[in-house]
Amino acid sequence: MNVAQIDRLAEKALRGFASRTSRRSVFSVLGAMLAGASALPLLPVARADAAPASDPNSGRQPPKPSGNPQDPGDPTQCDYWRYCAIDGSLCTCYGGSVNACPPGTEMSQITWIGTCRNPADQRNYIISYNDCCGGVLWGRCNCQRNDGDRPVVRPQNNNEVTWCFGTKSQSYTCSTAVILGAAIEPR
Amino acid sequence: MSMKAHSVRALLVSFFALFFLTPPAGAVDFPEPLPAEPVPNVRTLPERYPQSWVFLNYASNRIELRNVGSDSRDVEGQLQARDSTTLLVPKNRPEIYTADTVWSRYTRGTRTDYITVYDTKTLNPIGEIVLPGAKRALITTMQGMFAFTDHERMGLVFDFTPASSVTVVDLIARKVLNSIDIPGCSLIYPTGARGFSTMCSSGTMLSLKLDAAGKVIGRRETRKFNDLDHDPLFTASAIVGGVRYFPSMHGIVQPVDLRGDEVKILPKWPLVGAADLPAHWRPAGWQIAAGEGDKLLYVLMQEHAHEGTHKDASSEVWVFNVDTKTRVRRLRLVRPGSSIALTQDASPLLLVQADQRLDVYDPATGGLIRSLNLPGFSTRMLIQPVP
Repeated sequence: MNVAQIDRLAEKALRGFASRTSRRSVFSVLGAMLAGASALPLLPVARADAAPASDPNSGRQPPKPSGNPQDPGDPTQCDYWRYCAIDGSLCTCYGGSVNACPPGTEMSQITWIGTCRNPADQRNYIISYNDCCGGVLWGRCNCQRNDGDRPVVRPQNNNEVTWCFGTKSQSYTCSTAVILGAAIEPR
Repeated sequence: MSMKAHSVRALLVSFFALFFLTPPAGAVDFPEPLPAEPVPNVRTLPERYPQSWVFLNYASNRIELRNVGSDSRDVEGQLQARDSTTLLVPKNRPEIYTADTVWSRYTRGTRTDYITVYDTKTLNPIGEIVLPGAKRALITTMQGMFAFTDHERMGLVFDFTPASSVTVVDLIARKVLNSIDIPGCSLIYPTGARGFSTMCSSGTMLSLKLDAAGKVIGRRETRKFNDLDHDPLFTASAIVGGVRYFPSMHGIVQPVDLRGDEVKILPKWPLVGAADLPAHWRPAGWQIAAGEGDKLLYVLMQEHAHEGTHKDASSEVWVFNVDTKTRVRRLRLVRPGSSIALTQDASPLLLVQADQRLDVYDPATGGLIRSLNLPGFSTRMLIQPVP
């Protein structure tokens, strides 16, 4: 096929297309394509972003409720009741738990305390925010809640201090929220 | 050879001629190539920085020197920071000091606390003072952890193990002079010509006067004025006319005069007038106050504040005349802010850190002038304008 033949073929195809379609129908096709583009986020990749964390394809951690109805909520989330005065990274995201440090770290026994209300039994609990020290350093699952936090003049009520004392390393990794006991209710 | 093959070859020849023999179109406009550039090449800074530059302390992984006075919004340089890093910038010497803590194996191993002395022109470390005892306070970087006294000769470092003490350093001779126990007290507020005060958990302020060798030669404690049980003072403060103003969590302000050896606790006054009480306006944020000249106190204010919101961002900055104890301006922020500061030049700029932005306002009108991105910002920021 030479150039002249290609020319003729193309001309024929375009004339045929022009005779079969109106300008308006071209716009309607373009419009449909635009509408299709807006629907692109519904394709599988975007759907995975919007999927609930329980979907194994979502790429996110599934909810991890404590399993105890008297200890409600998800200790991997900032809004868990024991974290009412936490400032730092949750050990539940580093291989630890709400009351255990991740492997490879050391728990500081000198710490500070907060008082949090348990929404299940409506009791106030003394929560000890023992820090875990000497492990990896990065800002995963960072939470800042300040109920009862007070300026560092009262360090025992301050959540800005790195509570890594008496540990081999004072480099901060993450924080736990250990129940020390139910608070004595004011009469 | 057929006609067709001949014409294809001609086409190819013209193609190569077009692309390889014709000079690129731009070369006609630029007859000379760019000159070769020297290596190595490291930028230097002026010995004294313009007062429209500020140090942004990303508590705690880096300190950035940025130009907030120009729409270029340039990063001018950076200083390294590892843990609870604090910064002091003197007025009178071409040096910068940081106090920091590292471990020999990154997060473990031997701990070293040290002050680095940087040259302002090169940002090269030109000196180091190792702090003994592995006791420098590791706390989210806040005001009062590292301070000058004795006309910027001495540096005072707050220590917390959780026993409190202050390490006194001669920054010019580059040596540690003394360590002073301050049991039950926290942070450092320079006092008198050579000395400091510290906030105590009993609600008082303890003041220590030092001799040239850093030894304590005077010790006084104020009356109890900080109601830690009901309305504690923030440890963040601003200096206006030489007097330090401490806002309280519920919205009073406590002026304290630390210019002499004896601390003067001045009468406190409310920041929130009767009309604003129903909306529960309170000071809130991180670096919550800033001072301008002899009269104006700026405070970050939060609406509908309640227990636990005192470190959340605030929607307004209120400006008070400290002589008349009245609010003179009310600046609504385009984004809720957590830390504020004012540049120290003749026409100051109001700087507001609002999440990953540093917004620059005209403090007289409250108009937003420009906004800088703060990439990597995640926790809290101290803004330290060039003095």
